[in-house]
Amino acid sequence: MFHIHRRVVDFIPPPGFLTCSHSEALCTMSFAASSATFEQLAVPLLPSLYSHAFWLSRDHAEAEDLVQETLTKSLRAFGSFEAGTNFKAWIFRILRNTFLTSRTGIASARTVFLEDHPDLLDIADASPTPEDHILRLDNQAAVNEALDRLQPALREVLLLCDVEALKYKDIALVLDVPIGTVMSRISRARRTLYQMLQSQLGESL
Amino acid sequence: MTQTMQVTGHLAPDQLNAFIDGELSSSESRAIQRHLADCHSCALRVLSATQLKAATARAARRYAVPPDALARLTAQLRPQEPKKTARSYSFRSIGWVALAASLVIAVSLIGWRQIRQANALSAELLDQHLATLSSGASPEVISTDRHTVKPWFQGKLPFSFNLPEVLPADTSLKGADFTYLSGQPAALLLFTIHKHEVSVFLTQRSATAIATMPSHVRSGFNIYYASTHDLGIAAVSDVNPADLKLLLSALVQAQSPG
Repeated sequence: MFHIHRRVVDFIPPPGFLTCSHSEALCTMSFAASSATFEQLAVPLLPSLYSHAFWLSRDHAEAEDLVQETLTKSLRAFGSFEAGTNFKAWIFRILRNTFLTSRTGIASARTVFLEDHPDLLDIADASPTPEDHILRLDNQAAVNEALDRLQPALREVLLLCDVEALKYKDIALVLDVPIGTVMSRISRARRTLYQMLQSQLGESL
Repeated sequence: MTQTMQVTGHLAPDQLNAFIDGELSSSESRAIQRHLADCHSCALRVLSATQLKAATARAARRYAVPPDALARLTAQLRPQEPKKTARSYSFRSIGWVALAASLVIAVSLIGWRQIRQANALSAELLDQHLATLSSGASPEVISTDRHTVKPWFQGKLPFSFNLPEVLPADTSLKGADFTYLSGQPAALLLFTIHKHEVSVFLTQRSATAIATMPSHVRSGFNIYYASTHDLGIAAVSDVNPADLKLLLSALVQAQSPG
């Protein structure tokens, strides 16, 4: 059908992430002034952060720990947040990096990872027949199961797009990848879901 | 995106995704809509992809945050717990911090204490107001009649208060509840002004810091304070400040009839 390039990547800690751009003293002094604003921005995002943390870790206790750590880190780094840019993308990026440096995250990053080759991905998909897309999408249980089974890297991009409603450029910021990679991952994620649903449909008929 | 204005042939997957994800400019979207009007096959694919997007969102929302976890996380962000965060700072610059801290203490210890109290009190006021908004639970007394509401508090509160005979325009009393504020008994009166919910808290003036508090905005809600000889009054709402002040001054005036 289409080419999948796989390679094993070693975990690379995010470079310079979460380092405060000012001196520690400045960070401390700006803390009091910015904490109110930070609280106003962060509180409405808590349900989203938790849900996303759960999808990353697949564990409720770990999800809460991840969000807690994310809040601590992002409050500390709030001085480096540029007003006018997307706070949600900024804090989701911190959540993601917090997950990647957690034990579960390190374990998952050491497993087989999908490499993105936008130029190779969509060739086989160029002329789909409409029938391919007539699926029982009203079968929510089937979609639930497919999303559970979807490869984590693909699921992650789809959650940021379909659930968190982030724009491609913000997803690129969260995942630290080019926007073309975001597009190809979304494309691949949806195609994989279709294929899973189609095979489920085939089994149930 | 770099698609041309003319859509030739069927939509490429990236084009289709960018379309349903709202990533295209309006002219690009219009070009695709024109194509969909003529191409049954692509229209079907767009419909199917839109359904999949919605189904994915539903599937993902199965794992919502449990209420107790949400409460713990929200508590972590409350400013009355700054020590927890402050502890994680590096000690490299402890000399500077100590110097700054001693200056702050020397200059305005009292001011700091007031700010701290103010933060805790306004957080509590806002929490209680949000609880009345979100719980959907009815207040203990559901009445628009001040002659029903006021007597209900008798025996419950260690103080008494009056309700205005005439409320400001488009302001009405919805009900009342008994509550606690800073651990002290308080009357909670629920009003609406232009359909905005308003929570008014009345306490003994000596019992809380309300009488000394400056009015301010917190999380988009206005918190206004007033006091009389005996009472401390706080009002929380997202209604405009002018209307909130009118209600507060009506309440203040009602405490000194004649």
